[in-house]
Amino acid sequence: MSQSDLDEELALEAGEIARLVSYILFLLIASGMFFAAGDIPTSRFERLGAGAFPQFVFAGIVLICAIAIVLTVPKISAAAYGQFFRFAAKWARKCYLVFLCLAALGLYLVAMPWLGFSLASLIFLFGMQLALLPRSVKSIIIAAIIAVVFSYGLNLLFAEVFTVFLPKGVL
Amino acid sequence: MDSFLIGAAQIFTFTTIAYMVAGSIAGIIASAIPGFTVTMAIVLTLPLTFTMEPLQGIAVMLSVYVGGYTGGLISAALLGIPGTPSSVATTFDAFPMARGGEAGRALSLGVWASFFGTVISTIVLIVAAPPLALIAVKLGPWEYFSLIVFALTIVASLVGDSVIRGLIAGLIGLAMSTVGSDPILGRSRFDFGFEMLETGLPFLVVLIGIYAISQLASEVEDSHSVRSGSKLVTGAIDFQTWKVMKEVLSRPVNLIRSSIVGVLIGALPGAGGSIANLVAYDQAKRSSRTPEAFGTGIPDGIVASESGNSATAGGGLIPMIGLGIPGSAVDAILMASLMVHGISVGPRLIMDHSDLVYGMFIAMVVSSFIMLIVAIFSMRLFLRVAEVPKWIIVPVVMVCCVVGAFALHNRISDLYLLGFIGVVGYVLRALGYSLAPLVLGVILGPIAETNLRRALMTDGDPTVFFTRPISLLFLIAAVISIVWAIRTHLKKRKTDERFFDAAAS
Repeated sequence: MSQSDLDEELALEAGEIARLVSYILFLLIASGMFFAAGDIPTSRFERLGAGAFPQFVFAGIVLICAIAIVLTVPKISAAAYGQFFRFAAKWARKCYLVFLCLAALGLYLVAMPWLGFSLASLIFLFGMQLALLPRSVKSIIIAAIIAVVFSYGLNLLFAEVFTVFLPKGVL
Repeated sequence: MDSFLIGAAQIFTFTTIAYMVAGSIAGIIASAIPGFTVTMAIVLTLPLTFTMEPLQGIAVMLSVYVGGYTGGLISAALLGIPGTPSSVATTFDAFPMARGGEAGRALSLGVWASFFGTVISTIVLIVAAPPLALIAVKLGPWEYFSLIVFALTIVASLVGDSVIRGLIAGLIGLAMSTVGSDPILGRSRFDFGFEMLETGLPFLVVLIGIYAISQLASEVEDSHSVRSGSKLVTGAIDFQTWKVMKEVLSRPVNLIRSSIVGVLIGALPGAGGSIANLVAYDQAKRSSRTPEAFGTGIPDGIVASESGNSATAGGGLIPMIGLGIPGSAVDAILMASLMVHGISVGPRLIMDHSDLVYGMFIAMVVSSFIMLIVAIFSMRLFLRVAEVPKWIIVPVVMVCCVVGAFALHNRISDLYLLGFIGVVGYVLRALGYSLAPLVLGVILGPIAETNLRRALMTDGDPTVFFTRPISLLFLIAAVISIVWAIRTHLKKRKTDERFFDAAAS
């Protein structure tokens, strides 16, 4: 087996490790929620209480995750565990724009109550487009126009036509 | 006959038709924006109809309704984001087809399937409204729960690459539906002291976060492609109107079956388009000779989903016209608009206001024709969306999603929830979890829990689920469905193993 084939196989196994982690995480959360659902008081008016249906569901998650763990562990070689962080970092570097995008969305949503919809959207739209666009003067001008139209323009449309008022902000 | 002619005379006036055209355009545009549902579009239309004649107002709202069911397919096909909950299954095949360079064909298939779905549902509405309405209201919580058990077996068709991960996703969806006050006694559950969780996770925010945000984030995974100014969809954007019409009509069994599924689900109070599209898709996949081709961008998937969801428009009117019971939120708003004009909606509606009822039937058919004409002329414009580069479309659609999530309840906390669920959705997508079962779980969870508890409150004996004939029928269908799914997966695994063995040797 060549080095690239080996790397490809290890990368696939790194994906399996990530899934294994997700199964364990879901199993732990569902176990906790199962017991939390058991603490919900029952009612004398009905056979099943408010916690019964959630308990069925969380028990189902625990069961399926346990099966998933049992089926996944044998698929992963010992060498793959040692290489997991290397491949995870490689994937994160490849997808850095996704993280940038989600972080920008998070900041935008957090800032909206203070800046208001229009200003927050203007900054978000222009900033995001700047981060993603191919560098040229024409693209930057288009990005600026789009940012104004879909921030202040959208706000105006919703307020005047649909009488839906988007967050005004405190600034 | 006189009533029919009076109804027709009221519909076929220049003003009514002009209003209906405007309604159809508004419905298509509103539903094309992720987060804006048909219901929201109709709510916004309601005040505008107060000054109109009763039938004119209803006709306008029906045109928004019919247009709205079609509009959801635009973002489903071009962005991979369901514009409305009723177009979730449309993304499975319309999006791959559009990505494969046939965006025009994907949209055209959806429009024609929607058109025929609405027409078929209207025919069923005219012929079968009274008997179907009587059956629909006779169903008790036992039948509803068994129906939901059957609907949950659809997960088997939506699991994607991995059955285990599909099942986990479906269960996570059901678990998410249990957050907030319980549906029977209102006891708070799993709110962890957060006020925003007290009323539960808003379904639309979950849908937008899971599908839209995660899809948009995955669009920028390849930084080189984004920075080179690549478009979302490449290839022919020809709408292929007549060719596609023949293509849709060449699948009569799929078209009629999916439409009837839509009518039946639409006729059940509480169900609706969000379930019908998935059930119709599932049935089409199960009946197909090539079920493995579903999800790769085949016409059958689009036809099933779009005709199924559009047919719920006619189906929903069955209990409303027959018994005065609204089958969905939209039907409740239609009822409200009649009540504003002093018309009481109930079993006597068809006797006391037969011209109005016939007028509604005519308005449904006219709405579907208007939708078709509007769609044929406007789709070229919508297809231009496909030519917009990713660096513009991703941030702009994200802002539209934020507006959609906020406009639902005017709550800032919904925006935080949107961000959180968007990140969770992306992580699940990246780990290879199929997101459709999760959405199905969120939709069906509250209906399943409510009816299970209601059934056991009415009669503590669980064997009643098996002794009531319709309930038993649904449960048998669920068992058959599971056995069929296991058989198909085993068969597929064997075929795959044979293929790999042959490739290795």
